[in-house]
Amino acid sequence: MGLQEVAVLGVGTTRFGVYPDKSNIVLAREAGVAALKDAGISFAEVGEAFVGYLFSTPMTGIRAMKEFGLTGLPATHVENASATGLVAFRDAAWAVASGRCDIAMALGFDKMSEAMRGGGRGQGRDSIDNVILPAAYFSLWGMRRMHERGTKPEHFAQIAAKNWNHGALNPFSHRQPDHEVTVEQVLKSRKISEPVTAMMTCPVDDGAACAIVARKDLARKLQPDRPLVGVRASVLQTETYSRGHIFMGPVVGPPSMTRDTGKQAYEEAGLGPEDMDLVLVHDAFANEELEYYELLGFAAEGEAEKLLEEGHTKLGGRIPFNTDGGLIARGHPGGPTGLAQIHELVVQLRGEAGRRQVDGARAGMAQLVGGGSVCAITILQRD
Amino acid sequence: MSEASAERVPVEAGFFTIPDDPSASPQLLGSKCVECGEYFFPRRPICARCLAHGCEDVTLSSRGTLFTYTYVHFPLMNSQRADHGGYGVGQVDLPEGPRIQAVLSGGENDFQIGMEMELELETLRQNKQGQDVVIYRFRPSTDGEA
Repeated sequence: MGLQEVAVLGVGTTRFGVYPDKSNIVLAREAGVAALKDAGISFAEVGEAFVGYLFSTPMTGIRAMKEFGLTGLPATHVENASATGLVAFRDAAWAVASGRCDIAMALGFDKMSEAMRGGGRGQGRDSIDNVILPAAYFSLWGMRRMHERGTKPEHFAQIAAKNWNHGALNPFSHRQPDHEVTVEQVLKSRKISEPVTAMMTCPVDDGAACAIVARKDLARKLQPDRPLVGVRASVLQTETYSRGHIFMGPVVGPPSMTRDTGKQAYEEAGLGPEDMDLVLVHDAFANEELEYYELLGFAAEGEAEKLLEEGHTKLGGRIPFNTDGGLIARGHPGGPTGLAQIHELVVQLRGEAGRRQVDGARAGMAQLVGGGSVCAITILQRD
Repeated sequence: MSEASAERVPVEAGFFTIPDDPSASPQLLGSKCVECGEYFFPRRPICARCLAHGCEDVTLSSRGTLFTYTYVHFPLMNSQRADHGGYGVGQVDLPEGPRIQAVLSGGENDFQIGMEMELELETLRQNKQGQDVVIYRFRPSTDGEA
């Protein structure tokens, strides 16, 4: 059996936000219980679990799993920075595809609000490999693109405004503006690092999300009346060397990592960009999304600005990106982020996305990069 | 800045030279693959390109070209310069091949992609022995020659 014989049985997520009164364990339980309910199964039927988080102590994932009951199931911690949730999903899908179990769970949680409290934003320089503000290293992409392509800060602001406005249509989004966010408003927000302003960055979030996958034949039997959402590809790559590679300091990997990972995902899925109806990407900083239009094959090199300007990547457009608000609006706690993307893909492909529904959505892609660096991509398709 | 006479020690050993002459440029400590000739920073025993074992130690050029940069509008923590409102960050291509990501010295409007940059040492603080603890950064070249 291969990955093509795996389907998503259930998804659950908390709304991301800052929850001083809720622990990681409580958040994880809420998301997990929601996913079990959506799947229509008992935890006793889950054969294996993969748990991801960035900001807690060792074994927090195992402790979180005990909330669902002590069944003795194998559970493995997963950590790949921002891509953690998609990597946990990949492991769960392959646990089923390999025949190791019939049903597997991927669970992610984090409290970035607590992690930020100690350090603050700026960054000690007591080691060479110091931490520079995360916005800075993606800003380096943005400045280079402006130099090479004549891209304007307005382009990045247009992406941010789009994603804020998508968030307004998603009850699970952290940011749900009560008015239409404009390009001007984004550009006028506080400067973070050129060309990125505060409204072009993701918020600090707490939250949890969960996906349950199963053998396709089992999913059909358990959910005869629901559209079946199948896994077409779930891939992970690390950096590939080329001259000019950066080894030192906080690194996010070369942009080509997303192109290479996307290529592998399309090949494994037997699908191409033309088959996608929606795409979710790592828009922790708005300028990244513009790069991914090209790197994932939705625009030819140098044509990303045109795709954006013509409105193709907003809801109602030809290929809407970050329909749930993306990291910028929906939020980005860390561990659960990729599983919130899976949640959005599944809800869209089932036709249950309400006001933000992409008409007739049949296939979608989720991409995340994780600093350090990795790229993870999953493609789901409705049968 | 502290007095020029203070002894300078690296914030972390093994990454850059500290010349005896304070006016001389420091150099980054790199590696060169004995098989394929690729250069790396920082030092590594195994070539990332051809996977051969046994890179040799080299010192890299202290000048390069600014590939990209940004200016961060937050104070740089642990810096002794309280007047510093923000800081530059950039990627500098060395003639040997490595691209170096580092803090830049200069103001918001002092940088241009493609300009020549030069490595310098910045004093972070003084340690208990009264030595200057230094780290490397790049600044725009003063004479414009690479």
